[in-house]
Amino acid sequence: MSLLPEQIPRALVNESFHSRRLVVSIFVIVNVVVLTAGFLWPKGYTASTSILVDERTIIQPLMQGAAVATDALDRSRNAREVIFGRKIMDIALEHGGWLKTQPSVEERELLIEGIKKRTVISTVGKNILRIEYQDVDPMRALRVTEKFAELFMQESIAAKAAESGAAFAFIEKQTQEYQDKLASTEQELKELRSSTLDVRAGSEGEVTTRLNDLYRRIDTAMQELREAEVKGASLERQVSGEAESTAAISREGQYRARIADLQAKLDTLRLSYHDTHPDIVQVKQQIQDLTEGINTQRLRREQTKRSGKSEPDESVVNNPVYQQLRREQSQNQASVDALTARIEELQRQLQSEVSRGKRMHSGDARLAELTRDYQINRDIYQDLLRRRENARVSMNMDSDRQGLTFKIQEPATLPLAPTGIRFSHFVLGGMLLGVLIPLGLLYARLQLDPRIRIGSAIAVAHKLPMVTVVPHMWSPADLKALRWELVLLTLVVVATVAASGALSVMRLIKVL
Amino acid sequence: MSKIEKALNKAREGRGNLQVVPVAGAVHVPGTAVVADSAAHPETIPRMAKSEVRLLGAGELAQRGIIQPQHSEDPAVQVFRELRTRIVQKSQGQNAVILVAPVSKGCGGSFIAQNLGAAFAFDMGKTALLIDCNLKSPSVHRLLANGSAPGLTDYLEKPDLDLAEIIRPVGIARYRVITAGKREILAEHFMSGKMKRLMDTLQRRYQERFIIMDGPPMSNISDIRILSELSDYVLVVARYGRSTNRQIDSCLGAIGDKKLLGIVFNDEPRIPRIF
Repeated sequence: MSLLPEQIPRALVNESFHSRRLVVSIFVIVNVVVLTAGFLWPKGYTASTSILVDERTIIQPLMQGAAVATDALDRSRNAREVIFGRKIMDIALEHGGWLKTQPSVEERELLIEGIKKRTVISTVGKNILRIEYQDVDPMRALRVTEKFAELFMQESIAAKAAESGAAFAFIEKQTQEYQDKLASTEQELKELRSSTLDVRAGSEGEVTTRLNDLYRRIDTAMQELREAEVKGASLERQVSGEAESTAAISREGQYRARIADLQAKLDTLRLSYHDTHPDIVQVKQQIQDLTEGINTQRLRREQTKRSGKSEPDESVVNNPVYQQLRREQSQNQASVDALTARIEELQRQLQSEVSRGKRMHSGDARLAELTRDYQINRDIYQDLLRRRENARVSMNMDSDRQGLTFKIQEPATLPLAPTGIRFSHFVLGGMLLGVLIPLGLLYARLQLDPRIRIGSAIAVAHKLPMVTVVPHMWSPADLKALRWELVLLTLVVVATVAASGALSVMRLIKVL
Repeated sequence: MSKIEKALNKAREGRGNLQVVPVAGAVHVPGTAVVADSAAHPETIPRMAKSEVRLLGAGELAQRGIIQPQHSEDPAVQVFRELRTRIVQKSQGQNAVILVAPVSKGCGGSFIAQNLGAAFAFDMGKTALLIDCNLKSPSVHRLLANGSAPGLTDYLEKPDLDLAEIIRPVGIARYRVITAGKREILAEHFMSGKMKRLMDTLQRRYQERFIIMDGPPMSNISDIRILSELSDYVLVVARYGRSTNRQIDSCLGAIGDKKLLGIVFNDEPRIPRIF
């Protein structure tokens, strides 16, 4: 049954009165339970001590800039690991007097678990570590807390020395590795340099100049060769074709001139003689011979043109111009041969120079690589040398306890008053819970139980014009009984409260 | 002479059957009848005075869980008076038959019916007749010294039984009851013509008589339907911490809006002033 907020207080009061015996019973039971818990709750005396710690890890400053150190773990967690370790716990057991009864292994484990539960390790600010230990015995709380602080500092110093030793060993090993690496790089560099003596830094410019020069010379020689070839062709043409034809034409001309003379002579003779005259016949014969001669010359010239060979006749060979041409032609042929040979030589040199350039480049790359490796290794090696010396100093400081960074900031004192939940808290809590729990249960019942407990809710739920609420009618006998019941319940409540108060006072003055 | 006495005298002159008998020593509440502990009958209805038994004392009434007019500060008394006034207003001055039916067993329907009757009997101008119709668990006979006398079922079964023999005084002025009777009969008898005639006779005979039927739980739907037919109004009784809205819903469905008078939410716990 859901209630409106304004109905809740009245409904709770009615319901509390209705279930008064239950309410009082729960009140008493809750009080008894809580008071029993209060009796069983161990009295706790807490002793605490503060330790100022300047606990920077050795490896971190040593390796700063060269390697990334892992994040330092939470200081209190580290301290907890150290203190809750088996070694310190065993010493604490002995020191706290728990071993006098000679507990079994299981009992020892339980005792250790108990000590761990009662120990709180926390950090205050950045560098102060706080160890709190709670015990039923104040003296033992003090002793165990002091012992914890002492053992923690001892263990931490030892751990620190071990850490700096390990750091030194690590750096030493690294240094050795880099030294070896450096030596091997140096050796390799040396070998490379001796194997490529002809290849030196700076040769690249020379090779380029030489290559350029060779290219230029080849170009020049090629140019000259082409010129000589053109000249040779021209001379050849002059010597064979043109001279021949010139000579042939001149002979035909001579023949024609003779034919013209003979024709004139023939004309003259014909004026005087018949054609049968022997002179005329002779002249005619001469003309015919000359004409045949011309034809013979023409045929010869044409044959020469076709075959390309000229067979200069003696007149031509004896011609000085011809002889001059032949001489120039042979000279030109000699220069062509010389130029061809030179070009071949130049090209061979060019190939050699190109292969040398290639070789030089590959050698340069390897050299640069080796040089770079060498420089890096040398830098790291020098850095490691410096760090190794630092690590050696740190290790020596730790072994001589010169770098001690623990200091008891606040020594443990004997706890005089118990801490934690006190008996009076249980008493008050019992009272409060004794009231709140029944009210809560009744409230839950009001909310969850579908049975009606508010008369006005019926009118709303069923839209009825008339709802009459009849209160419980008490007969005189009922009232009398109720009176007694209420007196009794009040007495029970008062007795419970009085008993709680009395127990609280007795506990305070340490009677109980 | 008080105003009430004047009015009653005036009525007596008109109807000739009323008489005012003041009670010495009793707390006199204007407008209500007084149940006195004296031997004298404070009956204002002469026909009833003849058959009146010894009136119950305050202790006996309290023991039987019946309200008393002198406890006018008692919230229960005020509530029943209020209920009576509403019924009278609703019936516009006419007498009426009111069926009081609990939602379920244990809701205190008989308690409400008996006290509603007592509230009507407070009024000197009215009489109350309580009929026990809850045949399965009758309770009205407990008001009587001799509970074994014949009742409703005997009347319905025996043709020769006179009506006057079953109407019995309980020791409260102007208050009569009909017990359930000894015989176990089926509820179908409520449907009989005799039952209908009985109700008609009871209602019509005296105009000042208000009849209250103490009904069975409403879970007994068939009986409730028959009895509501015989009645003018139905009053449903729910109980604190016992009845649920779902039960009430089903009851209201069985009755219908026309005859439904309202709901009485019984037994709400309140801290009494005891010290």
